[in-house]
Amino acid sequence: MITLERDSLVFRFPEVHEAARCSLDFQRTLRIPDDGSDYPLPPGMGQFPLRHLDDYARQAPQQWLRRGGVLMPMHQAEAMWISFGCGDYPFAVKIAAGKTCAITGDAWANHLNTDPQDYLVLPEQPWLDGFCVAKGLVRQFVAMPLGEGYSVEEQLTGAAEHGGVQIIAYPMKAERYEAMLAKAMREDALVDHGPMYAPPGAVSAPLDMGLAPGGRMRQEIYEDEYGLDAWDQRHASRCFITIANSTQWLALTGERPPTEPPTARDYTDAGLPWFDYYGGDLNALEETEKMRGLVSVAQLGAQKGQSPLPDNESIDAANVVTLRAAGATQVREMPAGSA
Amino acid sequence: MTRFGEAATATRQRLRETDRRYSLRQVARRIGVEPSYLSKVERGQVAPPSEATTVRLAKELGQDPDVFLAMAGKVSRDLQDIICKRPALFAELIRQLKDAPDHAILHIVREVRDGDW
Repeated sequence: MITLERDSLVFRFPEVHEAARCSLDFQRTLRIPDDGSDYPLPPGMGQFPLRHLDDYARQAPQQWLRRGGVLMPMHQAEAMWISFGCGDYPFAVKIAAGKTCAITGDAWANHLNTDPQDYLVLPEQPWLDGFCVAKGLVRQFVAMPLGEGYSVEEQLTGAAEHGGVQIIAYPMKAERYEAMLAKAMREDALVDHGPMYAPPGAVSAPLDMGLAPGGRMRQEIYEDEYGLDAWDQRHASRCFITIANSTQWLALTGERPPTEPPTARDYTDAGLPWFDYYGGDLNALEETEKMRGLVSVAQLGAQKGQSPLPDNESIDAANVVTLRAAGATQVREMPAGSA
Repeated sequence: MTRFGEAATATRQRLRETDRRYSLRQVARRIGVEPSYLSKVERGQVAPPSEATTVRLAKELGQDPDVFLAMAGKVSRDLQDIICKRPALFAELIRQLKDAPDHAILHIVREVRDGDW
């Protein structure tokens, strides 16, 4: 089952194991320059709000309602990353944009594939910032309207049909988890926004937003070290996250969407930190041929004679904080009070 | 020492054992309060902090904000707003559920509906 708790999607599988619980949220962030350079990880600037689509059944387009799931606001050309949270219970999680896998570029499938691996493994993978375009490199998730050709969905399928983000999570098999827990215990023995007044109106034209590949940053997608057999594919929960642009969000919910984050230039000039992540000895996945062929928003804009990304100037991200896999709470946030 | 102060101290000190960033001084700085104030909160010498500070502290220590707010004798603003819109209905609902086991409450929690896509 999936519940919506404080703008996080919480996946629970009590029928598999009482500890089988994980969560994810969508983090607001600055858009890194799409200039051919490789950047460190940008900070988290708080969660995007999420709402049950069913709460706006009278105004929302039928196409959106049919998908179910939740609604999230994004400004055009705004960036985001996905933050995962779970205890020690492992999960396999597939992430797609426009029903196109963010890891492989393949069409959506309700099962896991290993050749090539089309999923992330939690808790080893703490975040996902974009589309895997090379070993150790992703292109940032950037919201663009469907129909203009920028989204990964349009680049790889030639169609502007779905948009949004799709997620499915599979828990580890209970017996596998228990065996892992018992082994670990044996080893231990030897040696853990404000509402704005606006009358809700109807949104008639389903102008979907999709995710497009933005600037490039250093992030590894880790190989599954447990193996396909570890995952309980009989039990899975999935969710469609419809992305509403700021006008649609205001019309549907009556709430003002979060303000746009600062530019990468302003953030860097203020001396605020960027981040790097060291995942230990985990192996990183190679990119697929489809993903290698993706064209970034700025590159495609240049080909079309357009400038789809404002404030895209190069920067020197010198203040980089390295976060490590081992340790307590990972803090990848803009320092409090610097907004 | 108050229940809230005890919980905050115990959680912070447990984290501090493996990570120096959880010293009183550093945690106070990250949640935007003076170290001396956080020390008094932990020792129960002052009343628990405001809702916003309590939520920041809970998040900083990896704890559920609602649990920390409850220990501080508070109910979050968003919950108050929800209850105040339909007070009789929610008051009765909570009374009806007060002794229900966790798994039964989870059954009535609203699920995110999966549709046709």
